[in-house]
This record gives sequence, structure tokens and C-alpha cells, in this order.
Amino acid sequence: MPIELELPKRLKRNRWKVKIQEKETREPPHVSILRKTKKWRINLRTGEFLDKAPKPSEVPDELLALIRNSETWRWLCEQWDRKYPGNPVAGNED
Amino acid sequence: MVAQNTILLMPRKGPAKRFARLRPRSVTSKAGLRASLPKAGKDTLWISDDPGQIAELLKSVKWPTRRLGDAILLFNPALEALTALRKCFDRIAFGAPGGFLPGEELAEALTAENRSELFIGGAVDHQCNMMTLWRGNLDSLVVPFTAFPPSGDGTAPNFDDFAVADYGQTVQLGKYEAATDAILYEFDPEYRRRKAKQRRASEQSLGASIRRLRKQRGLRREDFAPLAPKTIARIEQGKVAAIHDSTKAAIAKRLKVSPDELASY
Repeated sequence: MPIELELPKRLKRNRWKVKIQEKETREPPHVSILRKTKKWRINLRTGEFLDKAPKPSEVPDELLALIRNSETWRWLCEQWDRKYPGNPVAGNED
Repeated sequence: MVAQNTILLMPRKGPAKRFARLRPRSVTSKAGLRASLPKAGKDTLWISDDPGQIAELLKSVKWPTRRLGDAILLFNPALEALTALRKCFDRIAFGAPGGFLPGEELAEALTAENRSELFIGGAVDHQCNMMTLWRGNLDSLVVPFTAFPPSGDGTAPNFDDFAVADYGQTVQLGKYEAATDAILYEFDPEYRRRKAKQRRASEQSLGASIRRLRKQRGLRREDFAPLAPKTIARIEQGKVAAIHDSTKAAIAKRLKVSPDELASY
């Protein structure tokens, strides 16, 4: 089942998507932010961006606030844990 | 290199709007096709959804032909035509209708800086249980079905329902949405080396590589006996300044790679 966060229309119109994709077993628990051909990943354990490029500053504050909202964050963590029970957010392997 | 000269070989001019980013020239007639051939060269990208026009192209070129550039065929060409097409074009990507990104996304992916790290389309081979994925630079990647294990929540791939989405960042198999970068990481050693190099710049590379590879193999730190789980943890976390050769060899053996390859993962 695809995991995609419902976003406000303005962000959707600008082609932003927030997903937990399949086949991400090798990486720390994270959520993917997609816009057109670019992708940013946020570590669900630390809240930090996993990659230096593309520049994290390109992600709108509004979207980051939405993702980091405690209720959304909890939901994302739960979804990750369901998809990747062998690599849960609460694990301490990082 | 991004094509400088894109020709849309389609029966109607309408779809050209969707490919506007490529500033394409629409060719809809036999006369237009014949006029285009002398100007075509290695910087030309042909995009066609019409087997009839491609057949016309093959009939119109003078054999032996010179190279006409690259081609994206939004249909499966006849097997008998494939050799002739390969003589005409440097690189050809093809797949059943619906097997490629929608026009606007395709144009965006073909012109993206990271186009070689995006999938623009693909074709599924149910007989051999594998799929061919085309990248934005028209290179191909062959991936077996076994690369798509069901997720923990029970989401399983449906190979009858293939599509690429999200501007080439997702391979959709029904409700299963595989990340393009995860596929590239597993099946393209060059991509893996590039990513490892980027990671090395920012983290303890060998430990992180061991951790990633261990995850890929579905192993726990306890699975490295006689090495203690704590030892594996310390190595993965970059807390061991110099790993003894015998330890490295034991880890590599358990991970089924050579010790020299460990850091590339």
C-alpha cells in the first residue's frame, strides 16, 4: 500500500509529495520528499535531512512544519515501522 | 548529453505541447519525415508512438545507414525490426504503451541534471521474471522480480500493473512503489560507487557500508559469530580506528563480498 501524506492544495499544485517508498531496507528510517526530479530524505530518528544535496533549503518551511508536526510525525513513524518492522524507528542502530 | 534536436514522430501535432520542454519539432507526414532524415545526427532524439511512422523511417533511410541519434519508442517494436533499428540509432528505449512517463514528466526527466538516476520507462518480461528499466540517459538496467520483496505491511508487487511515476523516481507495481534510487543502488555498481563516495565525504564509510550491506542481506549483528554483536556495532558506528584484516575478512565473508569491495556498498 503506498504511503503518501495528504498535503494542502497549494503544495500539491507545486508538485510536492511526501512518501514512504518500498525497497528502502538499507537506509535509516526516513520519509521521502519528492518534487519533480528531486528527492530529499528526512531521518525519522533524528529529524535531520539525510543528504546534503539537493539543498534542504529548497524545501518550503510550510512543508517541513507539516511533516514535523507531532501528530504527522507519529503517523509517519508508525507507517515506517509497519513497512519495515526489521528496522524500526525506535531501533538504535544509527 | 541532452538532445539538442528532438523530433516527435507522431500522427498528430497535439502531443507536442506535453513535450514543450524539449522544444521538439513535430513530424506527422512522410514528406516531413524524409526532410528530417538528412538533418538528423548524434544530437537528435526521436520520440515516436507510431509503429507505422517508424516503419516508414526504416524504409526511407539509405542503407547502409549512418546513425540518426537516439530513439524512444512508446510501443514495442516488432522483433524483426530491432536489428535495423539498432543500426539506425545509438540508443533505443522501448516499451508497451503506458510503460513510459507521461509526456510532460518524460521531457522533464530527459532534461534533468540527474537524468541517469531516473527511470523514464520500462518493460516487464513475465516469461523470464525480469524487467528492463530505461534511464533518462537511455541506458538500460535489467532487474529480476526477486528485487521487489513484499514490504512488512504485506504490500506485494503486482508485475501486471507496471508504471514509472514521480518523474522517474518511483517504479510502481500496483500498490507497491519502489524507490528508483534503491533499485539503482542494488543493481548499478557505478551508481553505488558514486553514492559511496558522496557518503564517504560525510560519514565513517566502512562502518556505514557494512551496516548497509548487513541490512541488505537481512542479517542481525548477532549473525557474525564468533565476532561479538558489540564489535560489529562499534565498527558500524565508526568507533574502531583500524579494523584488523582478519576481522574485516570474516565480516566480508559473512556478507558474501570480497574484503576490498566492502567500502563500496
